[in-house]
Amino acid sequence: MSRAQVLTAEAELAAAVGRAATLTGPGDLRTYECDGLDGLRVRPRVVVLPATTQEVAAVVRIARRHRLPIVPRGSGTGLSGGALPSPGCLLVVLSRMNRILGIDLENRRMRVQPGVINLDVSRAIAAQGYYYAPDPSSQSVCSIGGNIAENSGGAHCLKYGFTVNHVVAVTVVLADGSIVEIGSPATDSLGYDLLAAVVGSEGLVGIVTEAVVRILRTPETTRTFFATFPSTDEAGSCVSEIVAAGIVPAAVEMMDALAIEAIVKATHVDWPLDVGAALLMDVDGTRAEVEHTASAAVEIAWRCGALGVRTPADEAERALMWKGRKSAFAAMGRISPNYYVQDGVIPRSQISTVLREIAELAAREGLRVANVFHAGDGNLHPLVLYDARIAGQEALAERVGGEILRICIRYGGSITGEHGVGADKAVYLGELFGEADIETMNYVRCAFDPERAFNPGKVFPTPRLCGDVPGKYHAHATETAGTAGRG
Amino acid sequence: MTAERTAPADLEEAVRLMTEAAARGDALAFVGGGTEAEFGYPPERVDLEIETRRLCSVVDYAPSDMVVEVEGGMPLAALQRVLAASGQRLALDPPLPERATLGGLLATNAFGPRRLRFGSLRDLIVGITLVRADGTRVRGGGKVVKNVAGFDLPKIAVGSFGSLGLIATATFRLHPLPQAARALRIAGVPGSKLHAIGRDIVDSRLEPAATYALRTDDGYDAWVLFEGFEAGVAEQCERFAQHAAQAGLAAPAEEPPATFSSRDAGARTAGDLHLRLAVPPSALDLLQRDVLDDLAGALDAARMTVYPALGIAFVSATLGARDPVPAILRARSLLEAWGGNLVVPASPAALRARVDVFGTLPPAFPLMAQLKARFDPQRRLERGRFIGRL
Repeated sequence: MSRAQVLTAEAELAAAVGRAATLTGPGDLRTYECDGLDGLRVRPRVVVLPATTQEVAAVVRIARRHRLPIVPRGSGTGLSGGALPSPGCLLVVLSRMNRILGIDLENRRMRVQPGVINLDVSRAIAAQGYYYAPDPSSQSVCSIGGNIAENSGGAHCLKYGFTVNHVVAVTVVLADGSIVEIGSPATDSLGYDLLAAVVGSEGLVGIVTEAVVRILRTPETTRTFFATFPSTDEAGSCVSEIVAAGIVPAAVEMMDALAIEAIVKATHVDWPLDVGAALLMDVDGTRAEVEHTASAAVEIAWRCGALGVRTPADEAERALMWKGRKSAFAAMGRISPNYYVQDGVIPRSQISTVLREIAELAAREGLRVANVFHAGDGNLHPLVLYDARIAGQEALAERVGGEILRICIRYGGSITGEHGVGADKAVYLGELFGEADIETMNYVRCAFDPERAFNPGKVFPTPRLCGDVPGKYHAHATETAGTAGRG
Repeated sequence: MTAERTAPADLEEAVRLMTEAAARGDALAFVGGGTEAEFGYPPERVDLEIETRRLCSVVDYAPSDMVVEVEGGMPLAALQRVLAASGQRLALDPPLPERATLGGLLATNAFGPRRLRFGSLRDLIVGITLVRADGTRVRGGGKVVKNVAGFDLPKIAVGSFGSLGLIATATFRLHPLPQAARALRIAGVPGSKLHAIGRDIVDSRLEPAATYALRTDDGYDAWVLFEGFEAGVAEQCERFAQHAAQAGLAAPAEEPPATFSSRDAGARTAGDLHLRLAVPPSALDLLQRDVLDDLAGALDAARMTVYPALGIAFVSATLGARDPVPAILRARSLLEAWGGNLVVPASPAALRARVDVFGTLPPAFPLMAQLKARFDPQRRLERGRFIGRL
């Protein structure tokens, strides 16, 4: 792209969204060169902050006309580099679109713009006794649009499901600048479940400019307890026993000794430091049901070798316990200059085994790994600690992170439970899935964005084209690929 | 139209059959338990029917992980028996579980009243194996409940009527069988008070597993099911009785939990004309007043079950001397105006030409056509059966 072309594109963008909402200066652009995965940085060509769906549609059309790749971005808290700019891209930042457009308590729906902060959805309806269930640890800063892109989870998705279970309709700007509503605000929609294609699409199919989310009645009773164990083995079997007893907790979080140390240093929770692991657990529901499940779970914890079990005296203490857990990533700064977080998933029954393998791997490579994670659904968050000032340690940490993902794959799990594939794990998608699987996922992307204008370079391990559609039929491809088959 | 029918013995044979069919350019249809065989438009062309009844094994079951992978031809009830031995279940309760296969249930996105508590198949499926139109076997999702790696092929296949591929295996998250279950029934509930077991029961913070209401000559028979641990279920039943009294309803009578499912299923599977109506839950009063009464007057032997908290009603009837079409079309236009829809899962041939299966196409239909074209460019799978005659 020539300098003159760039200037033309910039002028058109400024005309579409306003000069103040069009950022082209090196200082401004630097702010947006990475998301929560700050090890990867690319300077965008231009940044725009549109205020309406029509403005988003306009900037998409301009970008297409000038062949600029388009990367959408919410709050930029993602941990997989999903909002990492593509080289020479137009970065579309949705944070100015932060209005709640409607609250429909009767149908338990809320219509929001993508820049609305996750926690603000719940805050807007808390007084009426409702809330929005998905609760990523970054919920006080992350946006609903970003949650939709990544299909974000959180501690309480064990019982209540992920973003994809709580978004019922979205307005999307497609690659040709057209605006389409997908899903249905208050009833079942007909046809293919395109919402399932949009939620978790990591910015590859379009830009969500409005979303209708499901809101829930706050549970009548919630009981929280914090149990400590000699090691992650006992804590892991406690989780399995609780689930085997027919209890579906709202959340079960595990922290190992290193994670507890960091959290205590950072937040001043008074958790004991001479333990090997801790579980933080919520059960919720109706009164008598919760009385039963809470006391049964505590009994199981003792039986599994708990060193201590604490229940918060009041809501303030409960909030502090959860604050401790949710601050865990940030707390790592207290025990290590740098960390690299992974998001692998394993079958719940394999937690103890896999944690031991990870510990052996870390010891072998000479790095420390802290673990703080969603134990109820086997979603690990190993934090590989390193010091970037020591030559080679950053690369080593990344390599250890990759090996951890391979362990997860080997145990029948996944490379990501809630952070997304993004730029960070694209290479591992090809280790989890076969070529034909990935080709089929690309069909979904191509149905939305045949020219791959949105977020190129993310998710898929190697660049792939969309090909013509429809009609052309190549018999040899089907025969060779088909007879081979893939398990 | 005479199509050949074949029942592959295993997945390898299914892959081989579909690869050969691709080479010949054959149009394919998939056959499960036949419980929703009429759902969708009549296929435009079928050269070969692939029956899944022999693809009926449990591929992998890890009770401690509460996840199961099964082949698509396995009937739901057979799976439930396997799971029950480990104190678990797939939390899905559509009618006819002895016949309905998991593949067929997924293809038609079938559900029963427990959807209130457990969601529908999109909330339960975590992994899938599809055999594509070209005969390639592909996987999506996995065997863990929490997983965002790659596009969500399992959910995209739910409700796709076989038009994207053969559902060869599916992996589901499971729930524990409840320690206790109690069903309560209140007779003679006026239609204007259906929200007592819909919106109001949720607002009261009771957590029923399911509720529904059967239309009778005397208003509605309201049914509520509580599941969980003994003490919790007992407390909820007590509180529900108070809730009913406050709403001015009769005292609930206890019924066997098995009857809870059979009454709903009986109403849904009667007759030869089946309608599924969906409205925003806030339109429940309008639904029963302006739509269900009208349909009841226009249909022969009409039976209706309403899921009030979900805003869904199933109507079944037998085609008799009266012409039901004007009432169905009136209902559809009202529902669509309220943001809902009316679908016709089954109807006698005489009605098919006069009442569309799905009604007005959704605004995202062009994207759906693109998706179909990517997966099945020659339209060889269930040609013309799905929405918009894809």
